[in-house]
Amino acid sequence: MKTLISAVALAVMLPVVALAADTAQVGKPAPAFTLKDEAGKEHSLAQYKGKIVVLEWTNSDCPFVQRHYTANTMQKTLAGFDAKKVVWLAVDSTASHTPDKVAAWKKEKGFTYSVLQDASGTVGKSYGAKTTPHMYVIDEQGVLRYAGAIDDDPRGNKKEGTTNYVKTAVDALLSGKPVPATSSEPYGCSVKYKS
Amino acid sequence: MTQQRVRRSSWGGLFVAVLGLVLGTGVARAELPATAVSTGAPDQGNPRVEAALLTDVSQVKPGDSFRVGVRFRMDPGWHIYWKNPGESGLASEIVWDTPGTTVGELQWPLPITFRSPDGFITSYGYAEEVLLFAEARASEQMTGSLQLSAASDILVCEQRCLPAQLMLTRHIPVGPETRKDPEFAAAFDAARASVPVTPESAGHVVSLALDTKPLTAGQPFTGTFTVTAPQGQPAPVVEKDFFIPDRIKGIARVELAPVAGKPGTFKLEGTVAQDVPAQEPRLAGVLRLGTAASGYRALTLDLALAPVVAAPPGTAPAAPVVKAAPVVKPPTVGTAVASESSLSLGLVLLFAFLGGALLNLMPCVFPVLALKAYGFTRTVHAERGKVALHALAYAGGIIGSLLALALVVLALRAGGSSVGWGFQFQEPLFVAAVAAVLVAFALNLFGVFTVGTDGTALVEKVDSSHGLARSAGEGVLAVVLATPCSAPLLGTAVGFALAAGPATVLATFFMLGLGLALPFCLLVLVPGLTKLLPKPGAWMERGKQLLGFALLGTTVWLVWVMGGLTGVDGMARLLAFLAVVGLGAWMYGLAQGAEGGRKVAGVVAVVAVLAVGGVLSLRFEETGPALRKASAVAEAQPWDEAAVAAALEAGQPVFVDFTADWCLTCKFNERTVLTREEVRAAFAQHKVAFFVADWTRRDERISAKLAEFGRAGVPMYLVVSPAAPDKPEVLPELLTTDSVIEAVRRAAERVADAT
Repeated sequence: MKTLISAVALAVMLPVVALAADTAQVGKPAPAFTLKDEAGKEHSLAQYKGKIVVLEWTNSDCPFVQRHYTANTMQKTLAGFDAKKVVWLAVDSTASHTPDKVAAWKKEKGFTYSVLQDASGTVGKSYGAKTTPHMYVIDEQGVLRYAGAIDDDPRGNKKEGTTNYVKTAVDALLSGKPVPATSSEPYGCSVKYKS
Repeated sequence: MTQQRVRRSSWGGLFVAVLGLVLGTGVARAELPATAVSTGAPDQGNPRVEAALLTDVSQVKPGDSFRVGVRFRMDPGWHIYWKNPGESGLASEIVWDTPGTTVGELQWPLPITFRSPDGFITSYGYAEEVLLFAEARASEQMTGSLQLSAASDILVCEQRCLPAQLMLTRHIPVGPETRKDPEFAAAFDAARASVPVTPESAGHVVSLALDTKPLTAGQPFTGTFTVTAPQGQPAPVVEKDFFIPDRIKGIARVELAPVAGKPGTFKLEGTVAQDVPAQEPRLAGVLRLGTAASGYRALTLDLALAPVVAAPPGTAPAAPVVKAAPVVKPPTVGTAVASESSLSLGLVLLFAFLGGALLNLMPCVFPVLALKAYGFTRTVHAERGKVALHALAYAGGIIGSLLALALVVLALRAGGSSVGWGFQFQEPLFVAAVAAVLVAFALNLFGVFTVGTDGTALVEKVDSSHGLARSAGEGVLAVVLATPCSAPLLGTAVGFALAAGPATVLATFFMLGLGLALPFCLLVLVPGLTKLLPKPGAWMERGKQLLGFALLGTTVWLVWVMGGLTGVDGMARLLAFLAVVGLGAWMYGLAQGAEGGRKVAGVVAVVAVLAVGGVLSLRFEETGPALRKASAVAEAQPWDEAAVAAALEAGQPVFVDFTADWCLTCKFNERTVLTREEVRAAFAQHKVAFFVADWTRRDERISAKLAEFGRAGVPMYLVVSPAAPDKPEVLPELLTTDSVIEAVRRAAERVADAT
């Protein structure tokens, strides 16, 4: 029977086809996930029920992400929210990234929220994350309310009047109003998924 | 200049390239002022893009028109983006600063489509070289020279992305006449030729018919798009990636698919964005007609779609709800399609249990069951407690291996893959391993070798601990053989489980195991039943040997499966390997008769033979051509979404058979139902288009389609009516002649009703 057991073990090594997972849709419950952050701590979407969750797809090698982290866009946006009601989670679906690399980058940029490690790309694909940055806002009930870009300034050359879509969406949710723009075209580098 | 002219021939191009390498790039572009050329996107000191500010004139007369543009040359493998970059990237941008000269709209040559290696992300742009240009006109009052400046903001990507801002500037003398620059005028002409033109200017007629108007926010929509070539020209044909949509406000996704057999007709599919746009969205983008061989003609599309209205309350995702009560869905029994949302967990577990029980009746599990019944007869006359222990061991083997399988599935899923029921049989090595186990098992039953002290020992002296291990092993074998037989209800249950959380997967597989173990355990639980079994005796030795042949029969089937996976070579390799297994078993039998050192040497020899034989024979090339099997149904076509759409378009009902060589239920259905004369007559009468989706090998499209219907494996049978192409009927896993004929008739009648 040992042969049989090794045969079952063999199945583990199969490069098996990826089924088209149901992707995130605004207005529908956001896909559940459990991921470890760069420090090895587990985070699942379910544990944040009752809070607004902002997901930020990130990749420290991407010039668009670098621009936003130089300008502190994400940190400033988060600072404008009530910390008791809003959770910010970065997600790194870059296949080649290790927790060490991410931890070093986090230290260099000095931000505090967790960077969830999704090197397999499973969660990224279930959300349909295509770019870095790619932003998602999930309400207290776990329903996706916004998907798209962080703002309306892809080139980063707007002098003034930039609309921060994530801020708009979270502010609307906090005040019990419908989100004015539920989606926008995300911009940035493509997510470097495992292939 | 002379160097540049030589470029027209490819040898000349090579010459210039070599010369450029030898002398440095400065020589090749000597005629461009240094300020008109710049490099950007430094990658470890290596610029990945070179930009040059070009004009098609060397001198301009005041008031005359000319063309000005920026030529980008990318390193091999690197690209920049079109005006719609697609799902990632950044549109290339050029800002002009041209005092005294008006510059028109930027012209975009036809882009190409890029996909990430996994196909998940699509973008549009240019590789190698592109000239983005515009028409310009010098003012009447100009004297001296024109100053032309361009600021380009581009993103240059390969795997990595590097942004580049490039400033270019040059002066063009103003003179009494406009002088063409023959070298660069040709470059502009070439770029102009690949810029998409309006259908009207190309003599084409385009039209769009939507299936429903108005469009609803957040909802999908469909329609038919046609393009007709001018009279006397052949109907337009297209190649892959022929449609490149613009970013359309209010539309989240839009795709065109050619309708097979009808050149120039396309199925339009899209999804409206969640937010109602201020203006009616338009179908905008570029259509590339023609083929690489015939040459391309690119048309711009800009057609009105329909106004978008908000989704009616109830269907639309509502604004934040204050308190969302847990949704309890009533179980729906009897629907053919049980999508995951309409199934409660309890119902799924029930399905899994019933499915597991029914698996016992499937041809795959039968040999094991027979084996078990034989073993059971042997032990039943021992004390009752022991019988119960055997039942427990058998059930434990089944449930343990199913839970192991569930863990494998979960591990694979955590690793980013999704798997279906029976997926292991898509792997040649797994098929080989199972075949080897079966042959070894059969030889054991023939008495070629014995396991432990069993076999030659008298029935009464069966070592109970070993017997228990054997019962557990038979449970494992039952599971291994059961996977290719997807019993009724099972597909739905496993499909649901695979899409759900780890606890659900484990619970479902557990129930499945309980179901599979049930008939045997029933025998033990109901005292009267055991008395019905015949008394053990000499017949049992014969019966045992006979069962060995049943196992060999199953091996024949596995060899055939291997043929489908890896072709004739793979079958031969498997048979060679099985011969080695047989030799090993025989040698092991001989060694068992020996004593001491000779016995050890014998066992070492067996291991050596198996290892060498395995290494030599177990090399399966999945890329090799599969043996073409005569399809069960003569008129079967390979499944393809586009072909299905075409058949439906033509008013034909469609029958899709999702099958695999290793799926015995599928083969059973094909032999007993789908090939029957009445069924074929019904198919012919209703002009049914019959498609076969063969999942013997891995096929992502088929896996995705199965998942769409909440299934994790084959068989699956879809009947689609052309009157309701979006509402396919899913037939049960076990077909009957009547159910197929009825379903096909219903599909055909809906057409009659609709027309």
